[in-house]
Amino acid sequence: MNLLPQILAGLTPGAFFAIVGILLTLMAQLTRVVNFSQVAFGMFGGFVGMWLETGRNHLPVWVGAIVAIVVTAILSAIIGWIIATWLPNAQMAARSAVTVSSLLILVAVGAVLFGASHNNYKPLLPTTPITFKVGGTDLIVTYNMIFLLALAIVTVIVMQLLLKKTMFGVRLRAISDRQNAAELLGVNVKLLNVGVWAVSGAIISIAISFLPSTVSNDYVSFSLLVIPGAAAALVGAFKNMWLALVGGLVIGVLQSVLASNPNPTIAGLKDWVVFVLILVFLLWNQRKEVWDVAR
Amino acid sequence: MSPDNKVKLNNTVPSSLANQSFVHKAWAPTAFGVVAVLVGVALLFIPWIAGDFSYTRVSQVLIMMTLLMGLGIVTGTAGMIALCQLTFAAASAYAIEWMSVHLGANTFGGVTFIVYWIIGALISLVIGIIIGLPALRLRGVNLAVVTLSLAFAFDLTIVVFGFPENQVNSYIVRPFGIGGSSSQKDMFPLTVLIIIVTAIIAVALVYMQRSRWGSSWKMVAFSERGTASAGTNVQFAKITAFAVSAFVGGLAGGMFELVYRQGTPLLFSPYGSIVLYVLSTIVGSYLIDMAFFGGILSVAIPFILTRLHLQAFWGDILFGVLGIQGLTTGSNLGEDIRRGMRKGKRAKQMEAVAEAAAVETHREISSVPIPKGTGKPLLVVDDLTVQFGAVKANANVNVTVTEGTIFGLIGPNGAGKSTFIDAISGFLPQHTGSVTLDGVKLDKLTPSRIARTGLRRTYQQDRVPSTLTVGAYLKFVSRGAATRDEIDEVLDFFGCPGYYTPLSVVDVGTRRLIEVAAGVASKPKLLMLDEPAAGLDHEQHIAFGERLRQVPTKYGVTLLIIEHDLDLVRAVSTELTVLNFGEVLASGSQEEVLSNKEVLKAYMGETEMM
Repeated sequence: MNLLPQILAGLTPGAFFAIVGILLTLMAQLTRVVNFSQVAFGMFGGFVGMWLETGRNHLPVWVGAIVAIVVTAILSAIIGWIIATWLPNAQMAARSAVTVSSLLILVAVGAVLFGASHNNYKPLLPTTPITFKVGGTDLIVTYNMIFLLALAIVTVIVMQLLLKKTMFGVRLRAISDRQNAAELLGVNVKLLNVGVWAVSGAIISIAISFLPSTVSNDYVSFSLLVIPGAAAALVGAFKNMWLALVGGLVIGVLQSVLASNPNPTIAGLKDWVVFVLILVFLLWNQRKEVWDVAR
Repeated sequence: MSPDNKVKLNNTVPSSLANQSFVHKAWAPTAFGVVAVLVGVALLFIPWIAGDFSYTRVSQVLIMMTLLMGLGIVTGTAGMIALCQLTFAAASAYAIEWMSVHLGANTFGGVTFIVYWIIGALISLVIGIIIGLPALRLRGVNLAVVTLSLAFAFDLTIVVFGFPENQVNSYIVRPFGIGGSSSQKDMFPLTVLIIIVTAIIAVALVYMQRSRWGSSWKMVAFSERGTASAGTNVQFAKITAFAVSAFVGGLAGGMFELVYRQGTPLLFSPYGSIVLYVLSTIVGSYLIDMAFFGGILSVAIPFILTRLHLQAFWGDILFGVLGIQGLTTGSNLGEDIRRGMRKGKRAKQMEAVAEAAAVETHREISSVPIPKGTGKPLLVVDDLTVQFGAVKANANVNVTVTEGTIFGLIGPNGAGKSTFIDAISGFLPQHTGSVTLDGVKLDKLTPSRIARTGLRRTYQQDRVPSTLTVGAYLKFVSRGAATRDEIDEVLDFFGCPGYYTPLSVVDVGTRRLIEVAAGVASKPKLLMLDEPAAGLDHEQHIAFGERLRQVPTKYGVTLLIIEHDLDLVRAVSTELTVLNFGEVLASGSQEEVLSNKEVLKAYMGETEMM
């Protein structure tokens, strides 16, 4: 069986998972938070943008997209500000727990405003596919896929350059490694933290604007796409953005290939890919003994 | 010995002063259970009074309570994020239905369901252990990621395949001949059954929270290192928490089956698990009464909202906001209420403990000379080297501690003293050289094994969890080595607050004394104290030194003490070793070492030399 079409089809959700994974890695590194509401932020912004375009409003597409990005960035920044203000020195688990609450709020508010489920999400970019033939097989590539892949790669490259090559990047790394020391040096830790949140919110919102509704259209399960993203981030141990990128693509492709299997039991395994991957990578990461504190 | 050698004393009030405020309530859990049943029975009549008769709603409250109690163990007591409590319920519900369909609904007569219920809960327990595995060594948010992904995957699967009873279009058969309808006639006995089971779970969990396991969960939430040094396997403590939590979740799944008789994916959605987690953190559901309150909230709020023609999602928004508020302030409703109720009492308790400590300092203690020891080498450290990258924190250290003595280890900051203790107690397995305690090689053993072999330690940092009482802490650390009388005696000897004093009212300096007392009560062969006197004032220092001198003969515990305070070292130690830059600078009897020029130079600096 020629799996190439399935592999290509899997690259679209895969690229999205990769972007989520990259952003989760970035946030874990810079703000010590695993942001469970990462996708929920973007989804909420996306629905606000969509609401402006459709219904009575009839605003142009680009207005909706920009509003979506701004709304998402602001929402993300608010949660970032809350965590930076009240839990500046707390452990990662305590900081991350706040994002479980914000996930709940966003899903519930979204359900009240936009309806609980079966709300078909409409991507902003045209979904006209590009078709070409390789060795007798029709291969379909969509603009969405190309854009999402490019966004993932560009995000990694820009972030790597920013963090490693610029003075600003050094400051960003300092606030996560030695927050108190950075504060003593006059770095505005809170502002930088909130900035990271806003930027990651904006990026996820852009990604969601180009995500085809085939990936997920139900409000709750859309928000939970943060899980495959977290699995992707785990591939890079929440440290390496390139590995997170690869992880996301692998998950997307694996799911797509499994889903195409005619046997329903095997096809059903696609839903377990993420769980198994997470389990395996966590067990691998802890093969060495690790203690809660250095001393 | 002349009376002059005795420590100055002002009065000799017994140290049990602090005890008066703390009364043990052994009957409390049982009373709790009785109250829970009574409240549950009272609940039966609320729908009737409200004119909207629904036993289903009462059952729902109790199911939610059970879910919250189970979740509270992991999220509250052991302090982790778990997002799949409904999946445990779903797995058990699925198993019950599968058995009911494939093994027969009446295989064991009227109790068939009960048998399946227990098996279903055990299956949830196994799943709980499996998903707990990745969180055994890594902390942080790993459990959150695993549990959420499990909830998501399980949900997607049951959405596609459905529950077994649904597949064959039938329903489970309720136990004890209770009929299958949702009428009052059948729902009344069913609700009574659920009340009884919930009450049993509640009482069992209260006892469990007070048991060794409960202590180990609280200990692990506070400090993994502290837990291991107390001889308890950290992984075991965590796995038991996951297992019990999942088992209780599985029991809740059986309750769902009792009420609805057929599972639907909607009952067990990941979204529901997230709501449960947030609710659990808001109310503090490791407290049984708060789990009950949470159960009422989770049923009453949607009920009220429906009456107001509002969407139930508004309740979740409220939970989310309260959740953020609670998480950022690090508190929950249960603790807030408790704090409010004992506001005045608490201040009195703290006062009493402080007062007792002040009196304690001046208590008469017979002075004994520095112990000479038996002459038998107890701890033999041979050529110990610990390397961190290019830095040698310990380089070829040789130390022999004689049984029955007090061995002092001193040196300037960064000399490698704490590294030495860490290496010996098993936290730095990469060390080279060999460590032998009473003929047993310790090098390959884990920290908890080493502790059980008879080598205990204390920490420079506070490793005494404020969630326990003094007595529960000593009982946990001593692992059955000391009887209740012996624990009281050790506490009294070190001038610590009494058995039932909550550690939350004890100051940090005294907590470190309690840590030392706990180490002594565990009767190890060797107890290593890492700066035990930091945080004590001068008079307490002297009293503490007097007590330490008695420990080897009185309790048969050899001591190794790291201390900055030279007065204390001079007052207690038989032999001394000085570390500097990770190497042994001098070693020998106290007089020899303290008169060594090199030592004075390294330890005090050139200028302070006489």
